[in-house]
Amino acid sequence: MTEYLDPTDSVAVPRKTASRPSSLDGKVITLLDISKAQGNHLLDRLEELLRERTTPKAIIRKKKPTFARPAPDALRKEIVGATDVLVEGLAD
Amino acid sequence: MSQADSDPDADAIERLFDRGVTDGLPVVPPTRRLVDRAVAASGRDADELIALVPPNYGRATVEKIAVNAVMAGCRAEYLPVVLAAVEAICDEAFDLHGVSATTNAPAPLVIVNGPVRAELEINSGAGVFGPGWRANATIGRAVRLVCVNLGGARPGDVSMSTLAHPGRYAYCIGEHEEASPWESLAVEHGFGPDESTVALLAADAPLGVYAHRSRTPEDLMPTLAASMAVISHHRMTHWGDTLLVLSPEHAKILGDAGWKKGDVRRWLHDKLQWPVRELIPGRDGGEGLPEHVLAKYRDPDREATLIPKFRAAEHIKVVVAGGTAGRFSAIVPGWTFSKGSNLVFRRIPR
Repeated sequence: MTEYLDPTDSVAVPRKTASRPSSLDGKVITLLDISKAQGNHLLDRLEELLRERTTPKAIIRKKKPTFARPAPDALRKEIVGATDVLVEGLAD
Repeated sequence: MSQADSDPDADAIERLFDRGVTDGLPVVPPTRRLVDRAVAASGRDADELIALVPPNYGRATVEKIAVNAVMAGCRAEYLPVVLAAVEAICDEAFDLHGVSATTNAPAPLVIVNGPVRAELEINSGAGVFGPGWRANATIGRAVRLVCVNLGGARPGDVSMSTLAHPGRYAYCIGEHEEASPWESLAVEHGFGPDESTVALLAADAPLGVYAHRSRTPEDLMPTLAASMAVISHHRMTHWGDTLLVLSPEHAKILGDAGWKKGDVRRWLHDKLQWPVRELIPGRDGGEGLPEHVLAKYRDPDREATLIPKFRAAEHIKVVVAGGTAGRFSAIVPGWTFSKGSNLVFRRIPR
């Protein structure tokens, strides 16, 4: 049988999403604004609701310099090292 | 299916569709023989890493790119052009991560300069954006397949473009240097006239500009400006790299009158500016200057400071392309949000 070569890179397999926590109580939550217009409005309201309905250890607000590019490494490391739950505000 | 109905080539094409590694059109099954021939034509090692392709950062080795080029229908000798194009889109300045993932519609447009156009029969003349030329069709297509298969830009999955555009099948043109009164795009950017290059632009679809009656720059330039004014939105400003494709007849009008490319750029940049008071969001459309810019002015409703459509004249990139008959030009908007994509060049080794 003729051999056909693989056009994909087997290393680049889709990443699995992180497991979801059963409760937000006592967790550090980061709300990431990607700098899209109105994203802050969405995250403001989300923060209000989180404070009303849960008792997180802390809610941290972070912002990407631009939505057009990936978050800078330093910001990603900062978030990974200091948060249990990340909510990213994609919006227009 | 009976043995008699089986067709190995057709079956291979169907399997490739099923794997999701095509653009929806049939591809050439990438046999070891075809891929090896393409790698050999490039004169490079099969395992040489050209780039990591965002957003999934798949490893684009010479062989992996060759597999995609074969599938796209490239002749072996096109591979050096495809390798240069892939290297260009993976340059951080191109921001392929954003280009592939955005809800906007950009597609990598390959603009070819230099002797390689004639050597590989890359069309720069009549129907330059259209079908019928194998090199244009398959080099452009190979870049798309690399974005999908090594970058992960599958439509509706990672690639979230609301509309996209047909250039996402294949988008490759040559500059019609022989019909231009000016130095080529590549020479303007520091390359020699005997060097072959690709320039990659994250590009929207071409917007045609008809100007049949224009006979002087004074007729033609306001026509071009009026069409450039509405790129993206009529009040969108601070735009970056964008391509103005002048047909040979339009370029001749300007060249005969003594205009240089730089004059064209400066004229358009100076013309396409509006006072702050005309750029306030919500008057005749929701777009306009962002809040942080408006906050700089005490009374934006009366502010006369001019805001340019383009961040600088240099962002208006001018090429001459298309057939020598016809007074049609085209504007190809870039994807240039703040810190977004820029035009990126690569030399094609001989």
